[in-house]
Amino acid sequence: MVNSAPAAVDATPDTPSDHELMLAVRDGDLDALGELFERHHGPLFGFLVKLTGQRTAAEDIAQTVFQRMLKYRHTYRDDGSFTAWMYHLGRRCAADHFRRHQAAPAATDPSVLQERADDAPHAADRATVRDDHALLHRALSRLDRDDREVLLLSRFQELSFAEIATILECSAGAAKVRAHRALRQLRDLYFQLQKENLS
Amino acid sequence: MNCNAAQDRFAEVLDGRLDGAATAEVRAHLASCPDCQREFSALAQTLAELDTLPTPPPGPALRQRFYAMLEEEKNSAASVAAAAARHHRRSRVAFWRWVLAPIAAAALAFGGFYAGARFAPPAPAGLDAATKQELAELRARVDSVGQLVGISLLQQRSTSERLQSVLATLDQKNPDQKVISDLIGSLALDPSTNVRLSALDALYPHANQPIVRSGVLATLPREQNPLVQVAMIDFLVAARDRAAVPELQRLSRSENINQAVRDAAQRGLAQL
Repeated sequence: MVNSAPAAVDATPDTPSDHELMLAVRDGDLDALGELFERHHGPLFGFLVKLTGQRTAAEDIAQTVFQRMLKYRHTYRDDGSFTAWMYHLGRRCAADHFRRHQAAPAATDPSVLQERADDAPHAADRATVRDDHALLHRALSRLDRDDREVLLLSRFQELSFAEIATILECSAGAAKVRAHRALRQLRDLYFQLQKENLS
Repeated sequence: MNCNAAQDRFAEVLDGRLDGAATAEVRAHLASCPDCQREFSALAQTLAELDTLPTPPPGPALRQRFYAMLEEEKNSAASVAAAAARHHRRSRVAFWRWVLAPIAAAALAFGGFYAGARFAPPAPAGLDAATKQELAELRARVDSVGQLVGISLLQQRSTSERLQSVLATLDQKNPDQKVISDLIGSLALDPSTNVRLSALDALYPHANQPIVRSGVLATLPREQNPLVQVAMIDFLVAARDRAAVPELQRLSRSENINQAVRDAAQRGLAQL
């Protein structure tokens, strides 16, 4: 599985695990949330920017996620998985955001499509790659939000289907079926857009 | 395996989450079915595109807003109350330790006395010189135990209380040996840098006593804080204690010691 998220940090004598840090936050050591922010805000933002297609919205939602972690720290469970909890909150906050902005159509922010220059050695290749990414972004934005969510979670965030099931509040089997169905739909949309582009 | 069964498993094969045997079955079907090959390669291409989709980094504002929010929450009424409650719980524990420790010590002493009175052979009417010396040593040992208890009690109080008890000794014109020993004990054992520095200040008027100088000198090698180390060196130099020369030589040569401490030791050596 390819992903852009760092693996959840396991406990060593020097570095406490994500779970230990969140338990410390729950017990009143609020500074421990700073370490969790440093570890996870990048991948969380990456997930949200792909989910919403908008940088500003993704930053606002990421901020709200950490705000809710503080507010609801007492609800964090002893047997919890921190990343699963974080994406669970992320999904809820994103849903709130979409509800508030339902009237406004979600346009793809051009800055999302920017690439690093060193990724593309040749100008023509670079143009092709950018076109492909733009097409994929459009295909992603045409997916149902639920399908987009499960696809991004299963592909980028190094989560097991059991954890994804916790986030989506369904069974692991159902999460897997939804992820695979979403992938097939994305493929259909992507190839359809490619055809439209060529004609 | 037919086409439907194979296509149902394509996503899992591409995920890398399917076991080896099942993957081999799907691959075997793929090798002989051009339709499924097209289907599979379209899915693989979509996934490859998805995986190479760049993730832009968040802007610096996200971090600034997060830490501002964290500070606000830390200063909020609820958090301050929770911190106070934790402190209260801790101080309640400390209080009980403070009350129970002397009671336990007294019970132990009484038990020892009772056992001694009951089971020891009766002392002869006239005490010989050897017995007298033993008794004196025993008394000295009991005294030093009492001192340790005193120091440990001192440490169970808060930093400001310990600081106050150290500063209170400054008012005493001629403090007795117990006060002096408590001050040396604080200098050697107190976890707070401020308390150790104050204890050293309080010892300045008594630098003429050999016990004070040797106490400070004995504590110096164990001290880790450069501030206190430099203050101790200045103390020994001010007291013109020649016995400090070997320790100052060691400090001035030691590689893994703070530069300011080494400089102070060298200056001190020049003056002694």
